[in-house]
Amino acid sequence: MRYPRLIDDRSIWIMVAPSVIWAAHFLLCYWIAAIWCAKEAADGSAPLQPVTWTVAGVTLVALGLIWALARHAWGRYGGSLFITRTIADDRAQERKHFLGHVALLLCALHTLAVIFTALPVLVFDRCW
Amino acid sequence: MSRRTFPQREERHDDTLAFICRFTDRRTGGPYAPRGRHAIFRLKLAPLSATLLLAGCSGPHNWLSGAGREAMRIEALFWPLLIGAGLIWTAVMTLAVVAYRTAEKGGTERQVRAYVVWGGVVFPAVVLTGLLATGLLTLRGIAAQPAAHTVAVDGEQWWWRVRYEGPEGPVVSANEIRLPRGETVRFELTSDDVIHSFWAPAIGGKMDLIPGRTTQLTLTPEKTGSWGGICAEFCGSAHAQMLFRLVVMEPEAYARWLADEARPAQATGPGLEVFLDEGCGACHSIRGTKAQGPVGPDLTHFAGRETLGAGIRPVSRTALRNWIRYPEAIKPGVRMPGYPDMPDARLDRLVDYLMALK
Repeated sequence: MRYPRLIDDRSIWIMVAPSVIWAAHFLLCYWIAAIWCAKEAADGSAPLQPVTWTVAGVTLVALGLIWALARHAWGRYGGSLFITRTIADDRAQERKHFLGHVALLLCALHTLAVIFTALPVLVFDRCW
Repeated sequence: MSRRTFPQREERHDDTLAFICRFTDRRTGGPYAPRGRHAIFRLKLAPLSATLLLAGCSGPHNWLSGAGREAMRIEALFWPLLIGAGLIWTAVMTLAVVAYRTAEKGGTERQVRAYVVWGGVVFPAVVLTGLLATGLLTLRGIAAQPAAHTVAVDGEQWWWRVRYEGPEGPVVSANEIRLPRGETVRFELTSDDVIHSFWAPAIGGKMDLIPGRTTQLTLTPEKTGSWGGICAEFCGSAHAQMLFRLVVMEPEAYARWLADEARPAQATGPGLEVFLDEGCGACHSIRGTKAQGPVGPDLTHFAGRETLGAGIRPVSRTALRNWIRYPEAIKPGVRMPGYPDMPDARLDRLVDYLMALK
């Protein structure tokens, strides 16, 4: 027996995934900076470069995952960022397009949100 | 592209828009103009409430007074934000009213889509990114910097223990912080009991004092004067009476003052015996005497300060007498016990002595 993948044709999980990636990225960045500043830079003077590079790496991974999800929503779900007609029919194909459309919008939103989360490391060069 | 008409006014039941249109119709006497006496009252009360609001824009706590470099950075962020928010609010309200009044004309889907994409997605994204970047740069500007002086402030329930790094060792004081004008001072903030927050709005801040941690804040006062400070984090029953003064002096005057402050108390007299007999020295220190209590504020140069009870009364004989007799009446929950039964003669001697601690 072949089990369906979690995020594939008609699965609703594609709508949840971008938010989960954003939340995981947010928490990781928070933890990395908090632990580094509490342990390595207790007096606030140590440089923040290791945190900057780690956050940059985590951010690239998060953006890559969101990009992959967006491609999936566009390809497998047939979603598009802008729709020109009302999706209202009670058919499997219509539901799939709707999921793809919403997933693409969420991917765009969370791309921006992930960049917002990462912005502070570009500005600050020490813990305080 | 199909041309879609919007619902007519009769079909709309939007209270918010109706509320806005009451104001636009007030002058024209249109269908939404307010009726009845309450509208007149509202018009008359508007200038009064504006006056009351503006009255808060002066005095020792005014963060728009340009008294500190960090406060000025916040001010530089505040005005563009206020004007920008005002412009956006006016534009949105104008659009809403125009849309409400010209509903019959309708609009194509393309126009509506353009409004949503540009006004609802692109514009907010660009504005928010700009705001975030500007806010972060401001934050970096007011974060702790290398400083010429260090002042340690320990938040207590409900007063401030202050320790200066003097040329000949630490100098301990309380509830009043003196700073040299034009020089950057780093505050090292701690707390022994609960979280407090150090805020001198006119100069800059604020920063939390967290038990078990040392937080830092740098301030650069630019105007001499006596500025107000408050605890900005609820910390117990007398939180609202946990104030301090921040006195900004010319650098030479500050150096002289710090040298004086480092000296032990000069005053003598029968009041010192009363002070020691009543057990005041178990909590309070007066350097140069047997009173070495570490619990309450250091009183070595008590009468040189502007206030007593952590910024809530001026230093005067009357206020001091009342404070010693009934501290709880002035500051609910204060740890200092009252001395309501102390004979007047003894109290006078004690007050004489304390008022001589310049």
